[in-house]
Amino acid sequence: MSDELIQIETPFAFNEENQREFDELIGRYPIKEAAMLPTLHLAQNQTGYITPAVMKYVAEQLEVSVMKVKDVVTFYPMFFEEPVGDYVIRVCHTLPCALRDCKVVLEHLKEKLGTDIASETNLAKGTTADGKFTLMKVECLASCDVAPVIMVNGDLHKNLTPEKVDELLAKLAS
Amino acid sequence: MVEERRILYEHLDVPDINTFDVFRQYDGYTRFEKAIAEYQPEDIAKMVLDSGLKGRGGAGFSTGEKWSFVPKDIKPCYLCCNADESEPGTFSNRYVLEKNPHLLIEGILICCYAMGIETTYIYIRGEFTLGKKMLDAAIKEAYEQGYLGKDIRGTGLNVDIYSHPGAGAYICGEETGLIESLEGKRGQPRNKPPFPAVEGVFRKPTVVQNVETLCNLPFIIGNGVEWYTQMGPTYADTRFDPPKPDANTGTKLYCISGDVNEPGVYELDLGLTSTELIEVAGGLRGEEVKAVIPGGSSAPILTHYELDTRLDFTSLTLAKSMLGSGGIIVMNETRNIVDCLLNIMKFYAHESCGQCTPCRWGTPWVRDIVQRIADGDGRKDTITRPKFGVAENGRWGDTGETEEIYEDLDLLESVANNIANVDTMTWNTICVFGIAVSWPAVSYMRKFRPEFEATIREGKLVTLPVAEATVPPEENYAYQQRFVPKEFADL
Ligand SMILES: Cc1cc2nc3c(=O)[nH]c(=O)nc-3n(C[C@H](O)[C@H](O)[C@H](O)COP(=O)(O)O)c2cc1C
Ligand code: SF4
Ligand code: FES
Repeated sequence: MSDELIQIETPFAFNEENQREFDELIGRYPIKEAAMLPTLHLAQNQTGYITPAVMKYVAEQLEVSVMKVKDVVTFYPMFFEEPVGDYVIRVCHTLPCALRDCKVVLEHLKEKLGTDIASETNLAKGTTADGKFTLMKVECLASCDVAPVIMVNGDLHKNLTPEKVDELLAKLAS
Repeated sequence: MVEERRILYEHLDVPDINTFDVFRQYDGYTRFEKAIAEYQPEDIAKMVLDSGLKGRGGAGFSTGEKWSFVPKDIKPCYLCCNADESEPGTFSNRYVLEKNPHLLIEGILICCYAMGIETTYIYIRGEFTLGKKMLDAAIKEAYEQGYLGKDIRGTGLNVDIYSHPGAGAYICGEETGLIESLEGKRGQPRNKPPFPAVEGVFRKPTVVQNVETLCNLPFIIGNGVEWYTQMGPTYADTRFDPPKPDANTGTKLYCISGDVNEPGVYELDLGLTSTELIEVAGGLRGEEVKAVIPGGSSAPILTHYELDTRLDFTSLTLAKSMLGSGGIIVMNETRNIVDCLLNIMKFYAHESCGQCTPCRWGTPWVRDIVQRIADGDGRKDTITRPKFGVAENGRWGDTGETEEIYEDLDLLESVANNIANVDTMTWNTICVFGIAVSWPAVSYMRKFRPEFEATIREGKLVTLPVAEATVPPEENYAYQQRFVPKEFADL
């Protein structure tokens, strides 16, 4: 992808705090490119999702081509290329959670939020109209002992039931 | 009942054990100090080899042996700690990271001292937000206390530890996928050889070790090899002359989930049976065990006839399964095996990295076949085979026996075996993800064939009673091998 082909709406740059963190990060590796994942995480935390501007900026910082950054972004499910809600709700649906009725939790969330489940290529599908929540399915979150589990942004919620989901949503909405 | 033996997890629930001061009160870092005061690096490597410690991450490869492959003359050498825990059913590393991260740091220090390593990357799963926070705080403290950094405690030893977040791809748990990902690329596994021990991250020798494996090191050094080898069975493999000891030493953090009353992590000596483990985990939730997955979702399933198989590396390998990551998933009589397989195949179809054609196309194909069967559209046919015998009219002739054939089951096995063949243990792929796909696919189907057949026949998901759903032991391809043969007698 050459630079002219990328539509840059708003340019991106790290804020002061992230810049400091980035400077520290880059010293950890013998090659700059290795800082790719932590750098993308930093950027995504700042903007909410990875825009073309972010990719261009990261490519410049790490001295690699934009294509390489794009290549990485598309590979990893945790990087979003579209806007997501303020709260990203990840519902685990792998076997141990399935054995503990994660379907009930998922259906309940769908009904309560009035949205479908996002797919990796269509995040808007799982995002509520007010832009508050994005609902998605994920694979085993390594918490099968407290199944069924969901993650809301960085926080894990265990042993869920529809009632607990209601409580949680009420708390998040306030 | 088998007793828990908490070693790695002994102080897990001590309040504030995640802080340096409290960890220190519980012998923290004294084993590392002992290592540098009393032993040469070679002695440590020898002790680890003699302890029989096997990797806890999945492959179960001898840790000491792996270290011996690392060339001594190429520097720098790196340590990558695999904290990508994403095998479904596994959750023991998470608790170490969240509650007792200093133990991992101590293990890493011992490994670094033994191998002359100065830089360690802890590749931590992207979803482990809390784990990373706790780990980073512990690393910071260890630097402040002079246990990390330059010239540690005046010994001239330099060790740096950095945590490196993943971003949600299961395949980055595979060691070469992890290395690629650490280098800032897609986590696509590399062809082996060269193995990481010779050429790993940044094209330098690299030791890749699971969190649990590294956490064993302080105890091997602290309490000695003799103490360590008392735990768990050591078999004597008499196929070698002289008989080669096959160690299954130490404790294992068994993660048990699914249909048990008290799912969780239980630290037990290696070598107990599934029945015993279920008892430890508060007993079965339900009436009857239908199946047990012994080592994370990649491991071939065990039927209720096979519950007396010991859950250790050797016994499970002989039973044509594996201990893998030690994630044990229990299913009771209400579970439908077709449905369970569908769930697992969706997982693998989603997680294939897409590099090799058999895996990229074969895995979704297997998933689609299972989906079709589960939806009630499984393909079957009735064929009439010519068979000569005494016909109804009393004369010699064609008795025209008809037979049901289940095309989709044959197709399922054929596609799976073409990704990786479970009988010959050969694979057509770069990494053993291929085996992780075909193992469950073929083992579920072969061992629970009656349930698959009934589902196809009836055109809807049919859950048979346990005894009917399972093929009898004499027809089970893995049953005969499952006992540790006499020549493997306890050493
Ligand atoms: C598909 C696949 C996924 C794996 N996932 C993990 C994992 O999440 N964590 C882990 O420690 N090892 C995992 N492994 C095993 C690693 O490749 C490697 O064997 C292990 O990290 C070596 O460390 P150990 O010897 O201490 O077990 C995986 C292997 C494969 C093939
Ligand atoms: S076997 Fe599958 S996961 Fe492994 S390298 Fe090939 S495509 Fe990737
Ligand atoms: S299956 Fe949901 S946390 Fe493991």
